[in-house]
Amino acid sequence: MTVAWIGDRGVPVADAAKHAAELLVTSSCPVFSFDTDVHGTRAAIALARAAGAAYDQLDGEAVARETAQHTDKGGMFIAPGEVRRRADVIVIVGALPAAHRDIMAGLAATVPDLDAGTGRQFFLIGTEVKAPAKVKATRLSCDGGLEATLAALRAQWAGRKTALEVTHFARFAKALADARFPVFTFCGQSVGTLGLEMLQGLIADINGKQRASALHLPASENGWGSTLASTWTTGFPLRTSLMRGEAEFDPWRFDAARMIADGEADLHLVVADDAKRLPAGPRNMALIALTGTKKQVAGAAVTIAIGTPGLGHDAVFYASRIGTLAAIEAKAPSELPSTAAVLRQIAEHLPQEEALPC
Amino acid sequence: MLTRIAGGEIVDPVNGRVGKGDLWIEDETVVDEPVGRQPDLTLDATGCVVMAGAIDIHSHIGGGNVNTARLLLPEQHKAHASRPATTPLSKVGWTTFETGRRYAQMGFTTVVEPAMSPGAALHTHLELADIPIIDKATLAILGNDDFLLAMIRDKASPVMIEDYVAWTVASSRALGVKVINAGAAAAFKENARSFSFDDVVPFYGTSSRSIVKTLQAAVGALGIPHPLHVHCNNLGIPGAPDTAAETMAAAEGLPLHLAHLQFYGYGTEGKRGFSSAAARLAELVNSTREITIDVGQVMFGQTVTISSDVLRQFSARGTASPRKSVIIDGDANGGGIVPYNYRDDFHGSLQWAIGLELFLLIEDPWRVFFTTDHPNGAPFTAYPEIFELLMSREARAQAMESLSKRALALSTLPDLTREYTFEEIAIMTRAAPARLLGLKDRGHLGVGALADIAVYRKGGDIARMFRSAAFVLKNGEMVVEDGIVRNYRWGKTLRLKPTPDKAMVKRLEGYYQERYGLSLNWFDFPDSALPREQPFSEVSCNA
Repeated sequence: MTVAWIGDRGVPVADAAKHAAELLVTSSCPVFSFDTDVHGTRAAIALARAAGAAYDQLDGEAVARETAQHTDKGGMFIAPGEVRRRADVIVIVGALPAAHRDIMAGLAATVPDLDAGTGRQFFLIGTEVKAPAKVKATRLSCDGGLEATLAALRAQWAGRKTALEVTHFARFAKALADARFPVFTFCGQSVGTLGLEMLQGLIADINGKQRASALHLPASENGWGSTLASTWTTGFPLRTSLMRGEAEFDPWRFDAARMIADGEADLHLVVADDAKRLPAGPRNMALIALTGTKKQVAGAAVTIAIGTPGLGHDAVFYASRIGTLAAIEAKAPSELPSTAAVLRQIAEHLPQEEALPC
Repeated sequence: MLTRIAGGEIVDPVNGRVGKGDLWIEDETVVDEPVGRQPDLTLDATGCVVMAGAIDIHSHIGGGNVNTARLLLPEQHKAHASRPATTPLSKVGWTTFETGRRYAQMGFTTVVEPAMSPGAALHTHLELADIPIIDKATLAILGNDDFLLAMIRDKASPVMIEDYVAWTVASSRALGVKVINAGAAAAFKENARSFSFDDVVPFYGTSSRSIVKTLQAAVGALGIPHPLHVHCNNLGIPGAPDTAAETMAAAEGLPLHLAHLQFYGYGTEGKRGFSSAAARLAELVNSTREITIDVGQVMFGQTVTISSDVLRQFSARGTASPRKSVIIDGDANGGGIVPYNYRDDFHGSLQWAIGLELFLLIEDPWRVFFTTDHPNGAPFTAYPEIFELLMSREARAQAMESLSKRALALSTLPDLTREYTFEEIAIMTRAAPARLLGLKDRGHLGVGALADIAVYRKGGDIARMFRSAAFVLKNGEMVVEDGIVRNYRWGKTLRLKPTPDKAMVKRLEGYYQERYGLSLNWFDFPDSALPREQPFSEVSCNA
């Protein structure tokens, strides 16, 4: 079975890896986009260091917003297990990805068991937000959208006059006053940086007198896992460059999509389980595709088929259900190489100044 | 391979060997001088001090909270990358890779991350696995977790509690147990804003004292070599010496380790209600033989405080510099990340002086441990300067010249003339940590010891000597020469492996299913999840 191609030509994986390395050596501005587990991320960063590349999450805009909340402002956050056991008011701020449906269903189906909790009330902020199945939720809104609602809510809760009234504010205020531990869920997919900052401002205000916190349900579990791995490996989250021999973090400069759109990058290495997610790049830009595929990717200089982490190979993922990294055994072990193995194989062909950190 | 370290001044207090001589190593271990054999390699240690590799018992080098600090402060790391000589955090050793490199350069070969959340053990071990050269270990945090607090409330038997502690240590691959502001994180979730040793945790009806005593007993009964590692209540608050004294008294003849005692050394005297109580605490330590402490020395400059004492960190948010912080309500402790800049003003001067007073007033170097609580008091890379302050009263006098005279007047430091000897340094940073952690194979240079060896070139500049070791050998391999890392190898993470009781595992499975809707498997992982072959090395529990 052919699992690697140079252009349209089927080749052994070793040859494809060697050719990928040659392309990286001749590239003056390589950029990596990936959507993979922690092992794949570590290997991708090691390769980026050897190749002098910048790297980002594939479709990384939402992850970048969540990262900015941490790098620029910080905030108050809570573990998902504590939410399940403690939260008597849950405010869903912005629509959540489908991947988090089970977590929300679990919250809807249970009541807090620590202390004197007897039930949960749900509130929704944002027009696109849906309540978990079988849950009666109160929608909080005002003109101006989600960010404006958060701003008005914060002002009204602090007793300030506002130009815009939030619907059902009195019910929300009473629920908050009676609550033992209200929790606000958020995700960078549906809330902008200003909205995230306003939400944290509201939570800080509430904590002046009582407890409250925010549950981070990331836009991409792979993206958040990669953010954590990048941070301990290089000191920086995603959107970091290793082009100048030291790690540089700049969420605008090293936004992979921008680098490609602006013609800065001349080589794009993409890691994505699903070949349909591979972006169409400019014709004059070399593409190295590591993806779940049975055929070469159209237009790619190199294609290598990879096994899916967690399915074909053991993996380490960020798991929103526990709010940290978790190990997952391969459900259906695959003969296809793992992402990390392929990336390491490419790196072996590149000159190394010192030991790779991964 | 047979190696001879020739002509150095050997400082090995454990084996009573202090003086000029040769040290022989075969492969990974120290050996007697072989008869009739020539060494494959001879290292000239003339003019050098030869010690065992140093061991740091309390340094926050990896895990969720450490990584959140990195995430919160990218600007500090950027400064490190571009202006290494002039920027305060330039020496912080910010990445996992840099952490190993910089520790090795100073002759440290084993470092303990003292605050691992058991539920996030995989994350911690992934980071530790990416720290090169040195061996690592972790302490598992207990004492704010619902399962333990409920057992204490429900008057579970000591054996049942021991089973739970054993399972936690085994599944999280820890070398010991730490309790951090016992009960306070749970109380904070119930909106408590302060929490002392005899305060009661709402809902559970158990006091901080009771939690500490319960864990102390379990750790002892399980034969865990390291005594319960206690981060006391009321950290950083004027009046905290009372809390530290209460905690020491509660040891009641059984071993107990108090972490970063400097942060509890703040008295309430003087116009500003802030003074040194170091002399009082040192006297208590001197007279309470079952107590060991580490200092948590403060040095001036920018750092970031990282603590699983979430209540304390929440209270400190207002002091954040730069003005941003992260507070996490975790499944048990959670944590807080608050950047901080120690200035040489009144308060900073006193904090600096209190740490040094503790070092100099506690008489027994076997019971006082060398830490900055990295990075809370200062980055670990400040160690060479602290060694100089301990070994030279002239260096202290010079440093004090630029500090607040009003602050120093409230401290005994200006009157202290003690200077640490090399032998005392070797005890405090090698022999005593090994004994405290139950690591029989290191901390000394006797026959059979692991060949973790640091060789320092003597000279007038003590800090320089300790900053750049002449040679460092890890497991007999040369890793540092003239302060430069020559060989990146991967060390092990040291762990205990008590056998978990099957009934307790079953009970925990039921607990996680019922309370969290999760299998216990979510909180365990195979060793193969870590990217190293044989990432762990087992340490025995006491019989």
